[in-house]
Amino acid sequence: MKILVPTKRVPDTDQKIVATADGTRVAVDHIPYVINPFDAIALEEAVRIGERLGESVEVVAVGIGGEGYEQQLRTALATGAHRAVHVVCGQTLDPWNVARLLRAIVEWERPQLVLMGKQAVDDDASQTGQFLAALLDWPQATFASRLELQGERIRVERETDHGIETLNLPLPAVVTTDLRLNEPRYASLAAIMKAKKKPLDLIDAEKLGVTIDPRIEVLRYRSAETQRRCERVRSVDELIERLRNQVGAIV
Amino acid sequence: MQPALPAELPAGAEPAQLTREVFGNVPAWAQTLFYLLAAAAVGVFVYGIVRRVRLWRKGRPACDAVSWRTAVRRLLRDVLLQKRLWGRGMASLAHVLLFSGFVVLLIGTTLIGVEHFLADVLGREPNAPVFHKGLYFGVYELVTDTFGVALIAGCGMFLVRRLRGTGSFARSPADVGVLVALLAIGVTGYAVESLRIIHAETRLAGLSPVGYLCAAAFQGTGIGREAAGQFHFLLWWTHAALALGFIALMPYTRLLHSLAGMVNLAIRDHALGVLQPVSIAEVETTGQIGVARLADFSYRQLIELDACVSCGRCEDSCPAFEAGKPLSPRNVVQDLVGAMNGPGLEQNVHGDVIAAETLWSCTTCGACADVCPLGISPMRMITDMRRYLIGEGALRGSPAVALQKTERAGNPWGMAASDRLAWAAGLDVPLASERPDFEWLYWVGCAAAYDRRAQKVARSVARLLKAANVNFAVLGTEERCTGESARRMGDEFLFQQLAEQNVATFASRGAKKILAHCPHCVNSLRNDYSQFGGQFEVVHHSQLLSELVQQGRLKPAAHGKSAAGSITYHDPCYLARVSGVTEPPRAVLAASASGTGQATVVELPRNRRQTACCGAGGGRMWFDDALAQRVGQTRVREIAASGSDTVAVACPFCLVMLTDGLAAHRPDVQVRDIAEVLAEAVFEREANS
Repeated sequence: MKILVPTKRVPDTDQKIVATADGTRVAVDHIPYVINPFDAIALEEAVRIGERLGESVEVVAVGIGGEGYEQQLRTALATGAHRAVHVVCGQTLDPWNVARLLRAIVEWERPQLVLMGKQAVDDDASQTGQFLAALLDWPQATFASRLELQGERIRVERETDHGIETLNLPLPAVVTTDLRLNEPRYASLAAIMKAKKKPLDLIDAEKLGVTIDPRIEVLRYRSAETQRRCERVRSVDELIERLRNQVGAIV
Repeated sequence: MQPALPAELPAGAEPAQLTREVFGNVPAWAQTLFYLLAAAAVGVFVYGIVRRVRLWRKGRPACDAVSWRTAVRRLLRDVLLQKRLWGRGMASLAHVLLFSGFVVLLIGTTLIGVEHFLADVLGREPNAPVFHKGLYFGVYELVTDTFGVALIAGCGMFLVRRLRGTGSFARSPADVGVLVALLAIGVTGYAVESLRIIHAETRLAGLSPVGYLCAAAFQGTGIGREAAGQFHFLLWWTHAALALGFIALMPYTRLLHSLAGMVNLAIRDHALGVLQPVSIAEVETTGQIGVARLADFSYRQLIELDACVSCGRCEDSCPAFEAGKPLSPRNVVQDLVGAMNGPGLEQNVHGDVIAAETLWSCTTCGACADVCPLGISPMRMITDMRRYLIGEGALRGSPAVALQKTERAGNPWGMAASDRLAWAAGLDVPLASERPDFEWLYWVGCAAAYDRRAQKVARSVARLLKAANVNFAVLGTEERCTGESARRMGDEFLFQQLAEQNVATFASRGAKKILAHCPHCVNSLRNDYSQFGGQFEVVHHSQLLSELVQQGRLKPAAHGKSAAGSITYHDPCYLARVSGVTEPPRAVLAASASGTGQATVVELPRNRRQTACCGAGGGRMWFDDALAQRVGQTRVREIAASGSDTVAVACPFCLVMLTDGLAAHRPDVQVRDIAEVLAEAVFEREANS
């Protein structure tokens, strides 16, 4: 069984991200990058499936983008992916085009399961998995918080606003993962070094026969402004008094 | 009844020399048989040793070699004088008695062998010895007789302890058997001696007081000279067989500790705060990091395994064990010994032999290595095995996140590097980039840079340094985590990456003297960084502050809150035990408290080198433990029971752990860094004057 895990590269969530002064882009020059945390959860799940089922499982990590992607794909290999595919692409991509490129990869690799994060934490679009399932005409289950392979089918518990919904899909399928599915392992530098011998294949995006036609145009970036003021009050009574009379939070 | 012992020369006898016949009452065939058996025993002994040495040599090479001079000095101090052994009351005494008895009697027996050999070569008659006579003989008899008592007493004490006690020490049937055998050798020795005194009518038998008394007792039973001779022969064989068997079995029993321990004490590299580096090139060729199999330990560590006698002192001093964590350093070592003697060196030790939970429980406080009389470091075995787990990606959850954040952001909290100077707001702290002629580089550390509570420590230090006109600077945003936690968690390459960055920063800023208020940073900058090209003097703030007080550059006067009540001091492991700094922080506190008449600090039951860990070392800071399961809760209770209303610390980790712990027991007890206590005393004075 082959599991394909598309992984996006996003700026480290701990860093302060600001827009450049001219608003044309996000200032990310000195910001470290990480695998999108939701994709890391998908990868962890794929690796765990492999650990449970043994050698019959092959986990392939895919990254689409510029040269910088190698670092995240090495991390994916250190996490336990058997192989990585780097689709080299210099253009800015939106979810639709990523899904189209991924369809080409899926048709090439022919996995039984595509496991990916429910969204990327940089643009929070939450569209790629759904687009991909539609393009492939595969069943999909989004926001998975628990999954279980049952022969040719997969049982997925997904988190909705109203509770847990359980789905049972035939394979092949696209499943996108939510936060509570698992706790990804730590791929240390030592693990990355140990995984250096694993194959990392480069594919030129142009050779996949996909013409990139952006559907989204970014007009402007602007940093969110937060103005927080802290004050210490002396007592509960004063707090209530201030909330009532100064802030107007209590009527 | 007065025993008729030949204490006086029989009337009319020729004045013979003061001696006794070697192999007296033992016929020639028996002597030959004895030597054959002795050769066999030595053969079995040597075979056992060779087998062990072969095993040891399968370990990895160790780094620094120890000079002969050092090795000999250590043999004298730690083996002959048993320097590391004291500190366990009667058990220590028992070992010294047993050890001294064993060594003296072994030397005594060897001398007899030499005498017999020389006499044989020189063709002497049985009653004309080469040197075993006269004054020498007199001293010999007295000394060996006395140390025989020591041996028996030592064995007896150990046996009583094993039959009655409930302590952590080894008490398997094999352990008891070894002691019984040794005791039997001692007892039969005296029996043989006393029967010989009766049978051979040895002159001046009083030179062997115990033998003499035993002989008197035997004679009291009415035993005749002939019968004594027969019993003597019988018991002589028993004694000989026991002794030879004992020697033969030494390398196969717990007694191996005496041989492996001797070697280990002589050659170990023993600095508590030092870990051995792993090179990236090595990992790239072998594809492996850390200890997976026993063969991945260094040969010295394999010797350490054989040196362990399972006395349990490490377990008694282990804060993780005390807290009920699944870690006993003794069991770690003994389980590895079991694997070495069972499945062998190629067996992977992770999982079945040593559980990951066990390895992650260690706070690397160093107590186990510090108390081990044989110089074993279970802690280093643990950190070496952790390296493998990290390489396997076997760490998850909050500690894994801390490492990840350290790698990305340069601090375990994952806070932005641009915020590193937030602690110094309004203090006008000089930056190294702006003041290149600084004398001291003040290493702030991640805790004081980002943790709200610890920030106050750095503020106090900076204010004190300024008040004392110390020429210092900080690195500000150029500082990164030292990687201390990462290294002790087994993330060697993350540590090395950080060390290389920081060493380069130190070099570019020309840092020669570094000041830090975190004992973990101090040890890392001193012992870890020197392995990666860091050459500088590193000082803990307690040392510099106490010096400034002594020089009169800081003048504390106690008006502060802390000085009004009583104050106790909690020694951080990495300051007291690892770096050996125990008095400067006390001097700072005493100076701060002077003027209230309470110039002394209330000592906790476990203090200085014997301090008890707060639970945050070795990366435990980043583990999500429920409060009750945390390491260090007994320490918190100790502090609460001391009755002090302030506990002073000298480490940001201790500050966090003790604050959290005391909040549940005694929220009224203040936890404060020594710099805060001093700053309060110094600046109150300024405010009042």
